[in-house]
Amino acid sequence: MRLVIARCSVDYAGRLTAHLPEATRLIMVKHDGCVAIHADGGAYKPLNWMNAPNTLADRGDHWVVTNPKGETLTITLHEVMSDSAHEFGEDPGLQKDGVEAHLQELLAASPQAIEDGLTLVRREYPTAIGPIDLVCRDTGGQVVAIEVKRRGEIDGVEQLTRYIDRLHLDSSLGQVRGVFVAQVVKPQARVLAEARGYRVVEVDYDELRGMRPDELRLF
Amino acid sequence: MKFRCEREILAEALATAGRAATGRTGTLPVLSGLRLELSGDLLTVTGTDLDLTIQLDVTVGGERDGGVVLPARLSSDIVRSLPAGKVELDVADDDVRISGGRSQFSVRPLSLDDYPRLAAPASSAVTINAAAFGEALRQVVRAASTDEARPILTGVLLAAENDGLRLVATDSYRLAVRDLPGVSVLGADQKVLVPGRALNELQRVLGLGEELVLRLGERDATFEIGATRLTTRLIEGEFPNYRQLIPASHPNTLTVDREPLLEAIRRVKILARDATPVRLQISADALKLTAITQDVGNAVEELDATATGTDLTVAFNPDYLASGVEAVGAEQVTLSTIDPLKPAVVRGVGSDDYLYLLMPVRVP
Repeated sequence: MRLVIARCSVDYAGRLTAHLPEATRLIMVKHDGCVAIHADGGAYKPLNWMNAPNTLADRGDHWVVTNPKGETLTITLHEVMSDSAHEFGEDPGLQKDGVEAHLQELLAASPQAIEDGLTLVRREYPTAIGPIDLVCRDTGGQVVAIEVKRRGEIDGVEQLTRYIDRLHLDSSLGQVRGVFVAQVVKPQARVLAEARGYRVVEVDYDELRGMRPDELRLF
Repeated sequence: MKFRCEREILAEALATAGRAATGRTGTLPVLSGLRLELSGDLLTVTGTDLDLTIQLDVTVGGERDGGVVLPARLSSDIVRSLPAGKVELDVADDDVRISGGRSQFSVRPLSLDDYPRLAAPASSAVTINAAAFGEALRQVVRAASTDEARPILTGVLLAAENDGLRLVATDSYRLAVRDLPGVSVLGADQKVLVPGRALNELQRVLGLGEELVLRLGERDATFEIGATRLTTRLIEGEFPNYRQLIPASHPNTLTVDREPLLEAIRRVKILARDATPVRLQISADALKLTAITQDVGNAVEELDATATGTDLTVAFNPDYLASGVEAVGAEQVTLSTIDPLKPAVVRGVGSDDYLYLLMPVRVP
Protein backbone atom coordinates (compact mmCIF):
# COMPACT_ATOMS: atom_id res chain seq x y z
CA MET A 1 0.00 0.00 0.00
CA ARG A 2 1.46 3.36 -1.05
CA LEU A 3 0.16 6.37 0.82
CA VAL A 4 0.87 9.80 -0.56
CA ILE A 5 -0.27 12.97 1.13
CA ALA A 6 0.01 15.80 -1.35
CA ARG A 7 -1.40 19.07 -2.50
CA CYS A 8 -2.80 17.94 -5.80
CA SER A 9 -5.42 18.44 -8.45
CA VAL A 10 -7.15 15.58 -10.25
CA ASP A 11 -8.74 15.30 -13.66
CA TYR A 12 -10.83 12.38 -14.77
CA ALA A 13 -11.58 11.81 -18.41
CA GLY A 14 -13.80 9.02 -19.65
CA ARG A 15 -17.61 8.70 -19.66
CA LEU A 16 -17.60 12.26 -18.40
CA THR A 17 -14.99 14.71 -17.20
CA ALA A 18 -14.46 15.70 -13.60
CA HIS A 19 -12.00 18.05 -12.01
CA LEU A 20 -10.85 18.18 -8.41
CA PRO A 21 -9.23 21.56 -7.77
CA GLU A 22 -5.90 21.86 -5.99
CA ALA A 23 -6.06 20.85 -2.33
CA THR A 24 -4.33 18.61 0.16
CA ARG A 25 -5.45 15.00 -0.21
CA LEU A 26 -4.50 11.43 0.55
CA ILE A 27 -3.74 9.28 -2.48
CA MET A 28 -3.88 5.55 -1.88
CA VAL A 29 -2.33 3.16 -4.35
CA LYS A 30 -3.30 -0.34 -3.30
CA HIS A 31 -1.36 -3.52 -3.95
CA ASP A 32 -3.82 -4.64 -6.62
CA GLY A 33 -3.48 -1.32 -8.48
CA CYS A 34 -6.62 0.45 -7.25
CA VAL A 35 -6.07 4.19 -6.87
CA ALA A 36 -8.22 6.29 -4.55
CA ILE A 37 -8.09 9.98 -3.71
CA HIS A 38 -9.47 10.87 -0.28
CA ALA A 39 -10.30 14.19 1.36
CA ASP A 40 -9.95 14.69 5.10
CA GLY A 41 -13.54 13.72 5.85
CA GLY A 42 -16.20 11.12 5.12
CA ALA A 43 -16.11 7.54 6.25
CA TYR A 44 -15.11 5.58 3.21
CA LYS A 45 -15.97 6.99 -0.21
CA PRO A 46 -13.04 8.51 -2.09
CA LEU A 47 -13.43 11.75 -4.03
CA ASN A 48 -12.24 9.94 -7.09
CA TRP A 49 -10.87 6.52 -7.81
CA MET A 50 -9.95 4.02 -10.44
CA ASN A 51 -10.37 0.31 -9.95
CA ALA A 52 -7.84 -2.32 -11.00
CA PRO A 53 -6.80 -3.40 -13.51
CA ASN A 54 -5.10 -0.24 -14.64
CA THR A 55 -1.69 1.14 -15.37
CA LEU A 56 -0.06 3.92 -13.45
CA ALA A 57 2.47 6.06 -15.24
CA ASP A 58 4.53 8.16 -12.81
CA ARG A 59 5.72 11.21 -14.71
CA GLY A 60 7.32 13.10 -11.85
CA ASP A 61 4.99 16.03 -11.29
CA HIS A 62 1.93 14.09 -12.41
CA TRP A 63 0.60 10.57 -12.56
CA VAL A 64 -1.63 9.18 -15.25
CA VAL A 65 -3.74 6.17 -14.39
CA THR A 66 -5.38 4.46 -17.35
CA ASN A 67 -7.81 1.56 -17.38
CA PRO A 68 -8.55 -0.86 -20.26
CA LYS A 69 -11.57 1.24 -21.31
CA GLY A 70 -9.27 4.16 -21.96
CA GLU A 71 -10.52 6.21 -19.05
CA THR A 72 -7.80 8.27 -17.41
CA LEU A 73 -7.21 9.80 -14.04
CA THR A 74 -4.56 12.47 -14.07
CA ILE A 75 -3.19 13.46 -10.69
CA THR A 76 -1.07 16.61 -10.74
CA LEU A 77 1.21 16.79 -7.71
CA HIS A 78 1.90 20.37 -6.62
CA GLU A 79 3.59 19.48 -3.34
CA VAL A 80 4.23 16.07 -1.79
CA MET A 81 4.16 16.13 2.03
CA SER A 82 4.47 12.44 2.67
CA ASP A 83 5.08 9.37 0.56
CA SER A 84 5.31 5.98 2.21
CA ALA A 85 4.76 2.35 1.30
CA HIS A 86 3.71 -0.49 3.60
CA GLU A 87 3.52 -4.26 3.18
CA PHE A 88 0.14 -5.48 4.47
CA GLY A 89 0.47 -9.19 3.69
CA GLU A 90 -2.48 -11.55 3.17
CA ASP A 91 -5.84 -10.18 4.34
CA PRO A 92 -7.92 -12.66 6.33
CA GLY A 93 -11.19 -11.15 4.99
CA LEU A 94 -14.28 -10.02 6.85
CA GLN A 95 -15.46 -12.54 9.38
CA LYS A 96 -19.13 -13.21 10.00
CA ASP A 97 -20.42 -11.12 12.86
CA GLY A 98 -19.15 -13.05 15.86
CA VAL A 99 -21.70 -11.58 18.22
CA GLU A 100 -24.63 -12.74 16.10
CA ALA A 101 -23.31 -16.26 15.80
CA HIS A 102 -22.56 -16.38 19.52
CA LEU A 103 -25.98 -14.97 20.32
CA GLN A 104 -27.56 -17.77 18.32
CA GLU A 105 -25.44 -20.32 20.14
CA LEU A 106 -26.34 -18.91 23.55
CA LEU A 107 -30.04 -18.82 22.73
CA ALA A 108 -29.90 -22.38 21.47
CA ALA A 109 -28.52 -23.33 24.87
CA SER A 110 -31.17 -21.31 26.75
CA PRO A 111 -34.28 -20.92 24.57
CA GLN A 112 -36.23 -20.01 27.72
CA ALA A 113 -34.48 -16.64 27.52
CA ILE A 114 -36.70 -16.03 24.49
CA GLU A 115 -39.88 -17.44 25.96
CA ASP A 116 -40.76 -19.51 29.00
CA GLY A 117 -41.15 -23.18 28.20
CA LEU A 118 -39.46 -23.20 24.77
CA THR A 119 -37.49 -26.32 23.91
CA LEU A 120 -34.99 -26.46 21.10
CA VAL A 121 -35.76 -28.71 18.12
CA ARG A 122 -32.68 -27.75 16.13
CA ARG A 123 -30.23 -24.97 15.61
CA GLU A 124 -29.59 -24.05 11.95
CA TYR A 125 -32.72 -25.93 10.89
CA PRO A 126 -32.28 -26.73 7.20
CA THR A 127 -34.69 -25.47 4.54
CA ALA A 128 -34.36 -25.23 0.77
CA ILE A 129 -33.62 -21.51 1.03
CA GLY A 130 -31.13 -21.70 3.85
CA PRO A 131 -31.01 -22.66 7.51
CA ILE A 132 -33.35 -21.16 10.11
CA ASP A 133 -31.41 -19.92 13.14
CA LEU A 134 -33.50 -21.80 15.70
CA VAL A 135 -36.55 -24.00 15.54
CA CYS A 136 -38.22 -24.73 18.87
CA ARG A 137 -41.50 -26.02 20.28
CA ASP A 138 -43.50 -24.09 22.83
CA THR A 139 -45.33 -25.48 25.86
CA GLY A 140 -48.37 -26.20 23.69
CA GLY A 141 -46.24 -28.19 21.24
CA GLN A 142 -46.45 -25.58 18.49
CA VAL A 143 -43.42 -25.19 16.23
CA VAL A 144 -41.70 -21.83 16.65
CA ALA A 145 -39.31 -20.47 14.01
CA ILE A 146 -36.82 -18.00 15.45
CA GLU A 147 -34.67 -15.54 13.56
CA VAL A 148 -31.78 -14.16 15.59
CA LYS A 149 -30.13 -10.89 14.69
CA ARG A 150 -27.75 -8.55 16.40
CA ARG A 151 -29.73 -5.59 15.13
CA GLY A 152 -33.35 -6.30 14.28
CA GLU A 153 -34.16 -4.64 10.98
CA ILE A 154 -36.81 -5.10 8.33
CA ASP A 155 -34.62 -7.46 6.29
CA GLY A 156 -34.58 -9.88 9.20
CA VAL A 157 -38.37 -9.89 9.43
CA GLU A 158 -38.63 -10.59 5.70
CA GLN A 159 -36.16 -13.42 6.12
CA LEU A 160 -38.26 -14.91 8.94
CA THR A 161 -41.36 -14.67 6.74
CA ARG A 162 -39.63 -16.56 3.94
CA TYR A 163 -38.54 -19.29 6.35
CA ILE A 164 -42.00 -19.67 7.85
CA ASP A 165 -43.49 -19.91 4.36
CA ARG A 166 -41.06 -22.74 3.67
CA LEU A 167 -41.91 -24.52 6.91
CA HIS A 168 -45.62 -24.27 6.13
CA LEU A 169 -44.97 -26.45 3.07
CA ASP A 170 -44.33 -29.27 5.52
CA SER A 171 -47.80 -30.08 6.85
CA SER A 172 -46.39 -32.33 9.57
CA LEU A 173 -45.13 -29.24 11.41
CA GLY A 174 -48.61 -27.73 11.76
CA GLN A 175 -49.07 -23.99 12.13
CA VAL A 176 -45.66 -22.40 12.66
CA ARG A 177 -45.25 -19.35 14.86
CA GLY A 178 -42.53 -16.76 14.31
CA VAL A 179 -40.33 -15.03 16.85
CA PHE A 180 -37.91 -12.27 15.90
CA VAL A 181 -35.04 -11.95 18.36
CA ALA A 182 -32.38 -9.26 18.46
CA GLN A 183 -30.31 -7.24 20.87
CA VAL A 184 -32.08 -4.15 19.59
CA VAL A 185 -35.10 -4.12 17.31
CA LYS A 186 -35.68 -1.09 15.10
CA PRO A 187 -39.17 0.40 15.43
CA GLN A 188 -40.03 -0.22 11.77
CA ALA A 189 -38.96 -3.85 12.06
CA ARG A 190 -41.03 -4.22 15.23
CA VAL A 191 -44.13 -2.84 13.52
CA LEU A 192 -43.69 -5.14 10.53
CA ALA A 193 -42.99 -8.20 12.69
CA GLU A 194 -45.97 -7.60 14.94
CA ALA A 195 -48.22 -6.88 11.97
CA ARG A 196 -47.31 -10.32 10.69
CA GLY A 197 -48.14 -11.85 14.03
CA TYR A 198 -44.54 -12.51 15.11
CA ARG A 199 -43.39 -11.99 18.65
CA VAL A 200 -40.52 -9.59 19.03
CA VAL A 201 -37.99 -10.23 21.76
CA GLU A 202 -34.98 -8.15 22.70
CA VAL A 203 -32.29 -10.07 24.53
CA ASP A 204 -29.35 -8.94 26.59
CA TYR A 205 -26.16 -10.43 25.13
CA ASP A 206 -24.09 -9.72 28.24
CA GLU A 207 -26.64 -11.32 30.47
CA LEU A 208 -26.91 -14.38 28.26
CA ARG A 209 -23.19 -14.97 28.41
CA GLY A 210 -23.25 -14.68 32.15
CA MET A 211 -21.67 -11.29 32.54
CA ARG A 212 -22.83 -9.55 35.67
CA PRO A 213 -25.64 -7.21 34.73
CA ASP A 214 -25.55 -3.87 36.49
CA GLU A 215 -29.28 -4.01 36.95
CA LEU A 216 -29.87 -6.59 39.61
CA ARG A 217 -33.13 -8.48 39.64
CA LEU A 218 -35.43 -9.56 42.41
CA PHE A 219 -35.71 -13.03 40.86
CA MET B 1 -80.14 1.44 12.35
CA LYS B 2 -80.52 5.16 12.72
CA PHE B 3 -79.97 7.50 15.64
CA ARG B 4 -79.01 11.01 16.66
CA CYS B 5 -76.63 11.86 19.45
CA GLU B 6 -74.56 14.76 20.77
CA ARG B 7 -71.18 14.75 19.07
CA GLU B 8 -69.21 14.83 22.35
CA ILE B 9 -71.04 11.83 23.79
CA LEU B 10 -70.65 9.69 20.68
CA ALA B 11 -67.02 10.71 20.16
CA GLU B 12 -66.19 9.79 23.76
CA ALA B 13 -67.97 6.43 23.46
CA LEU B 14 -66.16 5.56 20.22
CA ALA B 15 -62.79 6.61 21.64
CA THR B 16 -63.26 4.61 24.86
CA ALA B 17 -64.39 1.39 23.17
CA GLY B 18 -61.85 1.99 20.42
CA ARG B 19 -59.02 1.49 22.88
CA ALA B 20 -59.86 -2.21 22.97
CA ALA B 21 -60.18 -2.54 19.19
CA THR B 22 -56.97 -3.60 17.60
CA GLY B 23 -54.91 -2.68 14.58
CA ARG B 24 -53.23 -6.06 14.76
CA THR B 25 -56.15 -8.06 13.53
CA GLY B 26 -54.37 -11.13 12.21
CA THR B 27 -56.99 -13.46 10.77
CA LEU B 28 -59.95 -11.45 12.07
CA PRO B 29 -59.95 -8.01 10.38
CA VAL B 30 -63.34 -7.21 11.93
CA LEU B 31 -61.56 -6.69 15.27
CA SER B 32 -60.34 -3.36 13.96
CA GLY B 33 -63.96 -2.26 14.14
CA LEU B 34 -66.46 -1.22 16.79
CA ARG B 35 -69.84 -2.90 17.03
CA LEU B 36 -72.76 -0.53 17.50
CA GLU B 37 -76.11 -2.02 18.53
CA LEU B 38 -79.20 0.14 18.86
CA SER B 39 -82.26 -0.94 20.77
CA GLY B 40 -84.79 1.82 21.34
CA ASP B 41 -82.80 4.74 22.70
CA LEU B 42 -79.97 2.58 24.02
CA LEU B 43 -76.84 2.40 21.90
CA THR B 44 -74.25 -0.19 22.92
CA VAL B 45 -70.72 0.33 21.60
CA THR B 46 -68.25 -2.56 21.81
CA GLY B 47 -64.56 -2.84 21.00
CA THR B 48 -62.47 -5.95 21.54
CA ASP B 49 -59.21 -7.61 20.63
CA LEU B 50 -60.47 -10.84 22.23
CA ASP B 51 -58.21 -10.31 25.25
CA LEU B 52 -59.74 -7.03 26.33
CA THR B 53 -63.29 -5.88 25.66
CA ILE B 54 -64.67 -2.43 26.40
CA GLN B 55 -68.39 -1.98 26.07
CA LEU B 56 -70.50 1.02 26.97
CA ASP B 57 -74.11 2.08 26.82
CA VAL B 58 -75.09 5.50 25.62
CA THR B 59 -78.56 7.03 25.53
CA VAL B 60 -79.30 8.41 22.09
CA GLY B 61 -82.33 9.49 20.09
CA GLY B 62 -83.05 6.17 18.44
CA GLU B 63 -85.07 6.03 15.22
CA ARG B 64 -84.46 2.56 13.82
CA ASP B 65 -82.99 -0.41 15.71
CA GLY B 66 -80.15 -2.45 14.28
CA GLY B 67 -76.46 -3.16 14.39
CA VAL B 68 -73.32 -2.30 12.46
CA VAL B 69 -69.55 -2.65 12.73
CA LEU B 70 -67.67 0.55 11.96
CA PRO B 71 -63.91 0.94 11.42
CA ALA B 72 -62.85 2.11 14.89
CA ARG B 73 -60.21 4.68 14.11
CA LEU B 74 -61.97 6.11 11.07
CA SER B 75 -65.37 6.50 12.68
CA SER B 76 -63.83 8.02 15.81
CA ASP B 77 -61.86 10.52 13.70
CA ILE B 78 -64.95 11.42 11.69
CA VAL B 79 -67.22 12.00 14.67
CA ARG B 80 -64.59 14.00 16.52
CA SER B 81 -64.05 16.23 13.50
CA LEU B 82 -67.72 17.11 13.04
CA PRO B 83 -69.02 20.46 14.23
CA ALA B 84 -70.36 20.53 17.80
CA GLY B 85 -74.02 19.59 18.14
CA LYS B 86 -76.11 16.68 16.99
CA VAL B 87 -74.60 13.90 14.94
CA GLU B 88 -76.72 11.51 12.95
CA LEU B 89 -75.73 7.99 12.05
CA ASP B 90 -77.78 6.17 9.48
CA VAL B 91 -77.04 2.64 8.25
CA ALA B 92 -78.43 1.80 4.84
CA ASP B 93 -77.43 -1.33 2.98
CA ASP B 94 -73.68 -1.22 2.40
CA ASP B 95 -73.23 2.30 3.62
CA VAL B 96 -73.09 4.12 6.93
CA ARG B 97 -73.83 7.82 6.71
CA ILE B 98 -72.43 9.96 9.48
CA SER B 99 -73.52 13.57 9.37
CA GLY B 100 -73.36 16.64 11.54
CA GLY B 101 -73.96 20.29 10.68
CA ARG B 102 -73.46 20.50 6.93
CA SER B 103 -70.86 17.70 6.82
CA GLN B 104 -71.67 14.27 5.58
CA PHE B 105 -69.50 11.17 5.49
CA SER B 106 -70.22 7.82 3.98
CA VAL B 107 -68.31 4.83 5.33
CA ARG B 108 -68.26 1.18 4.34
CA PRO B 109 -69.02 -0.98 7.39
CA LEU B 110 -67.20 -4.18 8.33
CA SER B 111 -69.04 -7.49 8.43
CA LEU B 112 -71.42 -7.67 11.38
CA ASP B 113 -71.63 -11.45 11.01
CA ASP B 114 -67.87 -11.80 11.49
CA TYR B 115 -67.85 -9.87 14.76
CA PRO B 116 -67.18 -12.36 17.57
CA ARG B 117 -69.93 -13.21 20.01
CA LEU B 118 -68.73 -12.25 23.44
CA ALA B 119 -69.49 -14.38 26.47
CA ALA B 120 -71.84 -12.94 29.06
CA PRO B 121 -70.08 -11.85 32.26
CA ALA B 122 -70.32 -13.98 35.38
CA SER B 123 -73.52 -13.50 37.32
CA SER B 124 -72.01 -13.18 40.79
CA ALA B 125 -70.97 -9.62 41.45
CA VAL B 126 -69.13 -7.71 44.15
CA THR B 127 -69.35 -3.96 44.56
CA ILE B 128 -66.32 -1.98 45.73
CA ASN B 129 -65.42 1.67 46.11
CA ALA B 130 -64.13 2.88 42.75
CA ALA B 131 -61.89 5.63 44.13
CA ALA B 132 -60.11 3.35 46.61
CA PHE B 133 -59.62 0.64 44.01
CA GLY B 134 -58.42 3.23 41.51
CA GLU B 135 -55.83 4.53 43.96
CA ALA B 136 -54.60 0.99 44.59
CA LEU B 137 -54.30 0.41 40.86
CA ARG B 138 -52.39 3.66 40.46
CA GLN B 139 -49.89 2.47 43.02
CA VAL B 140 -49.47 -1.09 41.79
CA VAL B 141 -49.97 -1.38 38.02
CA ARG B 142 -46.82 0.66 37.40
CA ALA B 143 -44.69 -2.24 38.63
CA ALA B 144 -46.18 -4.73 36.18
CA SER B 145 -44.00 -5.70 33.25
CA THR B 146 -44.84 -4.78 29.67
CA ASP B 147 -42.56 -7.47 28.29
CA GLU B 148 -44.82 -10.03 26.62
CA ALA B 149 -41.97 -12.53 26.77
CA ARG B 150 -42.88 -13.09 30.43
CA PRO B 151 -46.68 -12.96 30.34
CA ILE B 152 -47.12 -13.79 34.03
CA LEU B 153 -45.30 -10.58 34.97
CA THR B 154 -47.56 -8.47 32.78
CA GLY B 155 -50.39 -9.19 35.19
CA VAL B 156 -51.45 -7.79 38.54
CA LEU B 157 -52.18 -10.37 41.19
CA LEU B 158 -55.45 -9.88 43.05
CA ALA B 159 -55.41 -12.10 46.11
CA ALA B 160 -57.57 -12.52 49.19
CA GLU B 161 -55.44 -11.51 52.15
CA ASN B 162 -56.70 -11.62 55.73
CA ASP B 163 -59.97 -9.70 55.60
CA GLY B 164 -59.16 -7.74 52.52
CA LEU B 165 -57.80 -7.65 49.02
CA ARG B 166 -54.13 -7.50 48.08
CA LEU B 167 -52.82 -6.24 44.75
CA VAL B 168 -49.30 -7.23 43.69
CA ALA B 169 -47.25 -6.53 40.57
CA THR B 170 -43.62 -7.06 39.68
CA ASP B 171 -41.42 -6.77 36.61
CA SER B 172 -38.55 -8.51 38.40
CA TYR B 173 -36.76 -5.21 39.07
CA ARG B 174 -39.39 -3.87 41.46
CA LEU B 175 -42.43 -5.11 43.28
CA ALA B 176 -45.48 -3.16 44.41
CA VAL B 177 -47.86 -4.49 47.04
CA ARG B 178 -51.03 -2.71 48.16
CA ASP B 179 -53.53 -3.94 50.71
CA LEU B 180 -57.15 -2.89 50.69
CA PRO B 181 -58.38 -3.97 54.11
CA GLY B 182 -62.06 -4.79 54.38
CA VAL B 183 -62.49 -5.17 50.62
CA SER B 184 -63.86 -8.61 50.14
CA VAL B 185 -63.83 -9.54 46.47
CA LEU B 186 -62.39 -13.03 46.40
CA GLY B 187 -63.07 -16.21 48.29
CA ALA B 188 -60.61 -17.33 50.95
CA ASP B 189 -57.19 -18.00 49.39
CA GLN B 190 -58.56 -17.18 45.94
CA LYS B 191 -56.29 -15.28 43.59
CA VAL B 192 -56.48 -14.12 39.99
CA LEU B 193 -53.99 -12.55 37.65
CA VAL B 194 -55.42 -9.63 35.70
CA PRO B 195 -53.49 -8.16 32.73
CA GLY B 196 -51.89 -4.83 33.62
CA ARG B 197 -52.99 -3.41 30.28
CA ALA B 198 -56.66 -3.99 31.16
CA LEU B 199 -56.17 -2.36 34.55
CA ASN B 200 -54.51 0.63 32.92
CA GLU B 201 -57.61 1.02 30.76
CA LEU B 202 -59.80 0.52 33.80
CA GLN B 203 -58.05 3.40 35.54
CA ARG B 204 -59.06 5.69 32.69
CA VAL B 205 -62.76 5.00 33.17
CA LEU B 206 -62.85 4.67 36.96
CA GLY B 207 -63.69 8.35 37.37
CA LEU B 208 -67.04 7.72 35.68
CA GLY B 209 -68.71 6.35 38.81
CA GLU B 210 -68.43 5.92 42.54
CA GLU B 211 -68.97 2.20 42.61
CA LEU B 212 -67.16 -0.51 40.74
CA VAL B 213 -68.85 -3.85 40.18
CA LEU B 214 -66.51 -6.78 39.74
CA ARG B 215 -67.65 -10.06 38.21
CA LEU B 216 -65.12 -12.85 38.26
CA GLY B 217 -65.53 -15.70 35.84
CA GLU B 218 -63.33 -18.75 35.44
CA ARG B 219 -61.25 -17.28 32.65
CA ASP B 220 -62.19 -13.62 32.67
CA ALA B 221 -63.06 -10.70 34.86
CA THR B 222 -65.57 -7.95 34.16
CA PHE B 223 -65.41 -4.52 35.73
CA GLU B 224 -68.51 -2.35 35.51
CA ILE B 225 -68.39 1.33 36.21
CA GLY B 226 -71.48 3.35 35.41
CA ALA B 227 -72.55 2.37 31.91
CA THR B 228 -69.08 1.10 30.96
CA ARG B 229 -68.06 -2.56 31.12
CA LEU B 230 -64.50 -3.74 30.74
CA THR B 231 -63.91 -7.45 30.36
CA THR B 232 -60.46 -8.97 30.35
CA ARG B 233 -59.10 -12.42 29.93
CA LEU B 234 -57.26 -13.57 33.03
CA ILE B 235 -53.65 -14.67 32.80
CA GLU B 236 -53.13 -18.32 33.58
CA GLY B 237 -50.06 -19.38 35.50
CA GLU B 238 -48.35 -19.17 38.83
CA PHE B 239 -47.33 -15.71 40.01
CA PRO B 240 -43.82 -15.63 41.52
CA ASN B 241 -43.63 -16.21 45.25
CA TYR B 242 -43.26 -12.53 46.06
CA ARG B 243 -43.41 -12.92 49.85
CA GLN B 244 -39.93 -14.41 49.98
CA LEU B 245 -38.56 -11.35 48.17
CA ILE B 246 -39.54 -8.94 50.92
CA PRO B 247 -36.76 -8.78 53.52
CA ALA B 248 -37.93 -9.36 57.08
CA SER B 249 -35.97 -6.40 58.40
CA HIS B 250 -33.80 -3.54 57.20
CA PRO B 251 -31.00 -2.17 59.39
CA ASN B 252 -30.93 1.22 57.64
CA THR B 253 -33.87 3.59 57.23
CA LEU B 254 -33.88 6.96 55.52
CA THR B 255 -36.80 9.36 56.02
CA VAL B 256 -37.22 12.21 53.58
CA ASP B 257 -39.95 14.56 52.32
CA ARG B 258 -41.58 13.06 49.28
CA GLU B 259 -42.02 16.08 47.01
CA PRO B 260 -38.47 17.48 47.38
CA LEU B 261 -37.10 13.98 46.77
CA LEU B 262 -39.17 13.60 43.61
CA GLU B 263 -38.06 17.02 42.40
CA ALA B 264 -34.42 16.17 43.09
CA ILE B 265 -34.64 12.85 41.23
CA ARG B 266 -36.24 14.60 38.25
CA ARG B 267 -33.45 17.17 38.16
CA VAL B 268 -30.56 14.79 38.68
CA LYS B 269 -32.03 12.39 36.13
CA ILE B 270 -31.21 14.89 33.39
CA LEU B 271 -27.61 13.73 33.72
CA ALA B 272 -28.52 10.07 34.13
CA ARG B 273 -28.43 9.05 30.49
CA ASP B 274 -28.36 5.66 28.86
CA ALA B 275 -29.55 3.74 31.91
CA THR B 276 -27.12 5.53 34.20
CA PRO B 277 -28.23 5.02 37.79
CA VAL B 278 -28.74 7.72 40.38
CA ARG B 279 -26.55 7.27 43.47
CA LEU B 280 -27.96 8.00 46.89
CA GLN B 281 -25.36 8.81 49.52
CA ILE B 282 -27.17 8.41 52.79
CA SER B 283 -25.78 9.89 55.99
CA ALA B 284 -27.38 10.65 59.36
CA ASP B 285 -28.83 14.03 58.45
CA ALA B 286 -28.56 14.39 54.70
CA LEU B 287 -29.18 12.65 51.44
CA LYS B 288 -27.00 13.37 48.42
CA LEU B 289 -28.15 12.38 44.95
CA THR B 290 -25.58 12.08 42.19
CA ALA B 291 -25.73 11.15 38.53
CA ILE B 292 -22.62 10.86 36.41
CA THR B 293 -22.60 10.24 32.70
CA GLN B 294 -19.13 9.87 31.34
CA ASP B 295 -18.18 12.40 28.69
CA VAL B 296 -21.36 14.35 29.39
CA GLY B 297 -21.25 15.65 32.94
CA ASN B 298 -22.64 15.12 36.39
CA ALA B 299 -25.42 16.36 38.66
CA VAL B 300 -25.47 16.56 42.44
CA GLU B 301 -28.27 17.56 44.80
CA GLU B 302 -28.47 17.49 48.57
CA LEU B 303 -31.64 17.10 50.59
CA ASP B 304 -32.43 17.33 54.28
CA ALA B 305 -33.20 13.88 55.59
CA THR B 306 -32.88 11.74 58.68
CA ALA B 307 -31.35 8.32 58.66
CA THR B 308 -30.79 5.54 61.14
CA GLY B 309 -28.25 2.76 60.70
CA THR B 310 -24.96 3.04 58.87
CA ASP B 311 -23.94 5.53 56.17
CA LEU B 312 -24.43 3.96 52.80
CA THR B 313 -24.27 4.63 49.09
CA VAL B 314 -26.81 2.82 46.99
CA ALA B 315 -27.75 3.34 43.34
CA PHE B 316 -31.10 2.93 41.59
CA ASN B 317 -32.62 3.25 38.17
CA PRO B 318 -33.97 6.82 38.53
CA ASP B 319 -37.25 6.07 36.78
CA TYR B 320 -38.01 3.10 39.01
CA LEU B 321 -37.07 5.04 42.13
CA ALA B 322 -39.19 8.06 41.15
CA SER B 323 -42.07 5.77 40.26
CA GLY B 324 -42.04 4.19 43.72
CA VAL B 325 -41.69 7.48 45.57
CA GLU B 326 -44.45 9.00 43.46
CA ALA B 327 -46.78 6.08 44.16
CA VAL B 328 -46.55 6.54 47.91
CA GLY B 329 -49.50 8.58 49.08
CA ALA B 330 -47.79 10.24 52.07
CA GLU B 331 -45.91 13.49 52.65
CA GLN B 332 -42.81 11.68 53.84
CA VAL B 333 -41.30 8.47 52.56
CA THR B 334 -38.92 5.99 54.09
CA LEU B 335 -36.29 4.12 52.13
CA SER B 336 -35.17 1.03 54.00
CA THR B 337 -31.97 -0.65 52.91
CA ILE B 338 -29.77 -3.56 53.91
CA ASP B 339 -26.75 -3.01 51.68
CA PRO B 340 -26.04 -1.63 48.19
CA LEU B 341 -26.96 -4.89 46.47
CA LYS B 342 -30.05 -6.04 48.34
CA PRO B 343 -33.63 -4.93 47.68
CA ALA B 344 -34.70 -1.65 49.27
CA VAL B 345 -38.21 -0.83 50.42
CA VAL B 346 -40.04 2.44 49.82
CA ARG B 347 -43.02 3.16 52.10
CA GLY B 348 -45.07 6.17 53.09
CA VAL B 349 -44.65 7.39 56.66
CA GLY B 350 -47.83 6.45 58.50
CA SER B 351 -49.23 4.30 55.71
CA ASP B 352 -48.51 0.62 56.08
CA ASP B 353 -50.81 -0.58 53.35
CA TYR B 354 -48.38 0.09 50.48
CA LEU B 355 -44.91 -1.23 49.85
CA TYR B 356 -42.61 -0.73 46.87
CA LEU B 357 -39.62 -3.03 46.75
CA LEU B 358 -36.82 -1.94 44.47
CA MET B 359 -33.65 -3.64 43.37
CA PRO B 360 -30.52 -1.44 43.38
CA VAL B 361 -28.17 -1.10 40.42
CA ARG B 362 -24.60 -2.25 40.78
CA VAL B 363 -22.13 0.65 40.53
CA PRO B 364 -18.33 0.60 40.66
